[in-house]
Amino acid sequence: MSVPAPLSTSHEILADPHASEWLKSALKSAAERDPIDALNDALVLAATLEQRLRREFDLR
Amino acid sequence: MSKDSHQPVGGIDSKTAGLARSATRKFRMARGGSLVIGRLTEHGHANYQFRLGENASYYVKLLTSRGAKTLWGKDLERALNSGETRPKVGDLIGARRAGREAVTVTARRRAADGRIVTEEAHFAHRTRWIVEKVRFFAERARLARRLRDEQADVRETVRAHPELTSSFLSVRAAQDFAARRIADPKDRERFLSLMREAMAASIQKGEPLPAVRLRDPSRAVEVSTAKPRPLRPDDPTR
Repeated sequence: MSVPAPLSTSHEILADPHASEWLKSALKSAAERDPIDALNDALVLAATLEQRLRREFDLR
Repeated sequence: MSKDSHQPVGGIDSKTAGLARSATRKFRMARGGSLVIGRLTEHGHANYQFRLGENASYYVKLLTSRGAKTLWGKDLERALNSGETRPKVGDLIGARRAGREAVTVTARRRAADGRIVTEEAHFAHRTRWIVEKVRFFAERARLARRLRDEQADVRETVRAHPELTSSFLSVRAAQDFAARRIADPKDRERFLSLMREAMAASIQKGEPLPAVRLRDPSRAVEVSTAKPRPLRPDDPTR
């Protein structure tokens, strides 16, 4: 059985040298927004990025 | 629910709709299910749906763009541990139902002291899974495109992708077969395009690539020196 990957907090991600600058920048800008709006947009963003991945790599 | 709810609605009754759903499901299974993409967060043994009374199963938890998703199936353990990319927790993975295989499940009833009282074999189907890192599926889609491309230079493609050698040899064998056995050029073309598409679809799905098997020279001699069996009256003539 695998050990579930613990969800990192914003602070941990911002301090993580392996986390991408893109993610850190998104987290910083999200911190200034309403949490509901930010999560809502993040879900839309995730779905859109998945669509792009499927389109570009022809994943069906 | 009223009796009327079983009557046809808009021309389709519930039984027909059920049959259509079942046929669609069977078609999807035969074609291979759609690819579920997500970050692998956890996997392990558990009773189905984490319920006490259910059978032992295996689960894979994913964080997808639509939220958390849990896949269930005994074959998931094999798929994770013996795939080509062996994904680990934290990897972005793809999981696909690849088909079903017949299995025999032995149901045993035991007495209080642990002795087996009855043993019954049941035939069932087990879903077969392909679980790999997502880049694996991207690479397979690329290989499938190469195989589908009839204009591609075969030598060049095989040099760049030696793993496609066996697939191109199969295409070549199919071309030879079609040239000898299929008279109508349209039928020949259709046969070859169906064959090529089936192979490309299998590669794209993530099925194992066929390995190149070289002929064993000692066996070839054996075959060539073997005495041909005399024809029987019911043997096919062509």
